[in-house]
Amino acid sequence: MYAISVVGPDSTALVERLVGRLAVEGRVATVSNLPLAPAPGFEESVTFGGEGADVTYGLGDGWTALGHERTLGEVVDDCAPDYDYLLADGFPDARLPTVVAGDAPATTDRVVATVDAETADLDDLAAAVDATEPHETLASLVAAVKRSPDADRSGAIATFTGRVRAKDAADDARTELLEFEMYEGVAEERMATISRELEERDGVLEVRMHHRSGVIPDGEDIVFVVVLAGHRGEAFRTVSDGIDRLKAEVPIFKKEVTTDEEFWVHDRS
Amino acid sequence: MRWKLFANLAETAGEREVDVDVEAGATFRDALDALFETHPELREEVTDEEGNLRDHIRVLRNSQNPFVADAGYETTLEAGDELAMFPPVSGG
Repeated sequence: MYAISVVGPDSTALVERLVGRLAVEGRVATVSNLPLAPAPGFEESVTFGGEGADVTYGLGDGWTALGHERTLGEVVDDCAPDYDYLLADGFPDARLPTVVAGDAPATTDRVVATVDAETADLDDLAAAVDATEPHETLASLVAAVKRSPDADRSGAIATFTGRVRAKDAADDARTELLEFEMYEGVAEERMATISRELEERDGVLEVRMHHRSGVIPDGEDIVFVVVLAGHRGEAFRTVSDGIDRLKAEVPIFKKEVTTDEEFWVHDRS
Repeated sequence: MRWKLFANLAETAGEREVDVDVEAGATFRDALDALFETHPELREEVTDEEGNLRDHIRVLRNSQNPFVADAGYETTLEAGDELAMFPPVSGG
């Protein structure tokens, strides 16, 4: 799923136009920033928040939900398996590729386009959206392999998730973040080649890999490998070989920042 | 011809992309020398006493290793080639 933040004085007008254009390509989710406005009528009539429910869904012709404590990041992760695009309207602090609509100073270094909401060329904008790094999660990769044309022959999915480890031993200086630098283009090409080669194994139906880049704080996920296979044996073997090959062959570089120091990981291993 | 540098090599050079004045028909060694002319401090870091690349330094030409796919230092370069140099990979 491509996840885009739209900001600026005319963000809502641009989202409205862009939704129409992107819906031609796939399923679109939108998220609005409504700090003071729960769905009119819904809260009063059917929620049980006063009785202690943390979230309430109303199902019918469509659905409505109301709850507490939901961040944009959580909603983006939740939408990733099921939608092709997500447009977040009016979140200036979003950590997403950003389109600025109207005359506004950029609040992020991730601006992919600055446009006039009424006159922007939607084909150009859709192309700019498709050129961003897709937002993948473990769930979105699992959903993607389940859509395989060979899914009927699959009895197993094995997954690997690499995460930022804060400590390797009790007395370690705490790792606060890792910063990954990727050889853009070549890294993706290598991962695709490894995946295709692993898919040539008997009983291996689909292999997907995704590695995040930039700053990743401790506790967050870094990399996913997902294998759809006929049986568990080849699924386990392939997911293990997949992450080993990714770590050995893909041009990605890791800087570690601990409470004491920062260093390139290849200098220490 | 353009070199792309990564991780500590980009930090040593102070830039990630270095355009060098090397024409099509020149060799990979020529492009290396041109890079070191612009950034002598890189030569120190990535070559041994004989002027060859240290074992742990990786290079690519259009995403292929010229020491595997082509003729190594004697590889003939073409217009628009993208050259890359980086330390051991450390993803995941």
